[in-house]
Amino acid sequence: MSLAELTLSPGEAALLNVFPPTEAGDAARVHLRAAGLPNRRVEAFKWTDLRAALAEGIPQADGSAGLIPECLKDALVLDFAPEGFGLEGDKDQGLIIETEDSLELEGAGPLAMIAAGFAPRAVVLRVTQRQSRPIVLRRHPGAPMRIRLELEAGTQLTLIDTALATAGLSTGLMEIEIGAGAELVRYSLQNGDARAIDLANAEVSVASEGRYQAISLMFGGKLARAETHVTLAGEGASCLIQGAYLLSGTTHADMTTKVMHTSPNGQTRELFKGAVQDRARSVFQGKILVERAAQKTDARQNHHALMLSEGAEIDAKPELEIYADDVQCAHGNTIGALDDQALFYMRQRGIPEAQAKSLLVEAFVTEVFDAIELEGVRNWFSSMARAWLEVSSS
Amino acid sequence: MLNINNLHVEVGGTSIIKGLTLCVPAGEVHAIMGPNGAGKSTLSYALTGREGYEVVGGTATLNGDDLLELAPEERAAKGLFLSFQYPLEIPGVPTLTFLRTALNAQRKARGEGEISVPDFMKLSRDVAKKLGVTPDMMKRPLNVGFSGGEKKRMEIYQMALLDPRFMILDETDSGLDIDALKVVSEGVNALRGPDKGMLVITHYQRLLDHIKPDRVHVLAGGRIVDSGGPELALALEADGYDRYKEAA
Ligand SMILES: Nc1ncnc2c1ncn2[C@@H]1O[C@H](COP(=O)(O)OP(=O)(O)O)[C@@H](O)[C@H]1O
Ligand SMILES: [Mg+2]
Repeated sequence: MSLAELTLSPGEAALLNVFPPTEAGDAARVHLRAAGLPNRRVEAFKWTDLRAALAEGIPQADGSAGLIPECLKDALVLDFAPEGFGLEGDKDQGLIIETEDSLELEGAGPLAMIAAGFAPRAVVLRVTQRQSRPIVLRRHPGAPMRIRLELEAGTQLTLIDTALATAGLSTGLMEIEIGAGAELVRYSLQNGDARAIDLANAEVSVASEGRYQAISLMFGGKLARAETHVTLAGEGASCLIQGAYLLSGTTHADMTTKVMHTSPNGQTRELFKGAVQDRARSVFQGKILVERAAQKTDARQNHHALMLSEGAEIDAKPELEIYADDVQCAHGNTIGALDDQALFYMRQRGIPEAQAKSLLVEAFVTEVFDAIELEGVRNWFSSMARAWLEVSSS
Repeated sequence: MLNINNLHVEVGGTSIIKGLTLCVPAGEVHAIMGPNGAGKSTLSYALTGREGYEVVGGTATLNGDDLLELAPEERAAKGLFLSFQYPLEIPGVPTLTFLRTALNAQRKARGEGEISVPDFMKLSRDVAKKLGVTPDMMKRPLNVGFSGGEKKRMEIYQMALLDPRFMILDETDSGLDIDALKVVSEGVNALRGPDKGMLVITHYQRLLDHIKPDRVHVLAGGRIVDSGGPELALALEADGYDRYKEAA
């Protein structure tokens, strides 16, 4: 499509002005002028129409970045606000933090382009020793975040990233390199109301025997998309990607993952579970690609969702693409309603219907949190889920 | 206590209970016996308010309260308990969480305060000991992976803990071996009392050796076709239900 033909929406036009005069900003501008925002005519965005969500312009930022829970009081907190980037707390040895004004972005999709363009600079974290202190990345309302994270061989880091704006457009781009035998554990929390747009993008590469472990909880927003691309590049690299989502009202949450096995003996475990009610919509797109060289790959993907109202929508696209012959790959996808018989059984014992539903939904989704090793974070996520259930069932 | 008068119940448009009248006074245990498909479970579901079991005629009251206009949980709070013929598995919900939630919900509905955690723990342990319920069973998600017998034991455990006023036991004996049957029956007998009532649904006389009924009724073709003392159960054991085929 030529430049002259594309009519930009007010949102697209507004974005052009938001991108700072950096290399990445210029690249994003060129891309946006040429292709517009990803929309339902683009296969990877057929259920998540960013152009439509931003049709009327960029929503005014509102709300706060949220409080750091007690269990993370020792964490190093990196704040990403519209005014800039800030740092709070103590830094352990073996962690180097720098900022870069221009950082090349390689072969990334449209979300990464936008996020890179939006961010005035990138924060580069280099981990040279195992970190016992977790790092929290807080995205403030209306703020861009760009992180490059390098874990040297044998190191370990726990990262918590939150996007809790009530309203506004916030973006997060994380480019992550996990060295040989290194491990990144990441816990993500997203919440927003019907005026919040959050675009999160993680580009992860894992070297031999390295591990990427990510567990998320999403409540959606006007549009929230968490896109994760993992390349298990080294032999014996592994990843665990789990997510829970609870959506009500008219919120929308999209979990798109692509895991590429390019070396032998890799392992992938994916589990997504969620419940959707009212007129909310969830999108799960999970692709696992096993290249010919990736023999002995062991990959499992599961997505299970509960439809709590007739007006809700759950779109799922699980995909396995396998070119190696000696692999174990399986996937499962189910969408169903709550079990009527179980509900009656609980009510016969005196538990009111709404409470019985809450208990069943809680039990269903919180299975995802069983893999959270930090007890405080596990309880934090569980209590967030419970609070949602209390509000949405009353 | 429980008064059922000319009850008619339809399931999926088919008439199953066809004018059933039954009265269980406080302090009594009545047995309902009958062939498979007679409508015994249908009666228990209609009384507890399960969806799809449509009461199209008649009345049912418990201590004067109209059961039929109450939600299932409200009936439970009035003291009505059903020990299910096929107890459900509730994945992900630990047994003790489930029971504490149920007990507190009932207490709240009756305007009583919550039971404290230590009191509840003590109560749950005491009851468990009596009924041979192991700590492992109480920690697991409710009924998940339990054998048929364990599920039945768990039903009576729940019943003892919730201390209902009127109990319906739907084929509690099925799936229990003779030792378990004794333990469970002792548990049930301990819950008898002058202000309590029980409806024991069974196929076999065997259970009634342990839980002695005051009256025995025969349910066939959706109606009570015969009633008598405990000796009726013995006669049924010997002769079967053939002679009620006509009546049905
Ligand atoms: N959910 C149902 N849908 C259709 N028919 C049912 C259902 N439940 C019970 N019935 C029918 O109602 C009749 C009585 O069943 P039930 O009450 O289970 O008998 P019992 O417990 O005495 O063996 C049977 O003919 C059975 O097939
Ligand atoms: Mg039955």
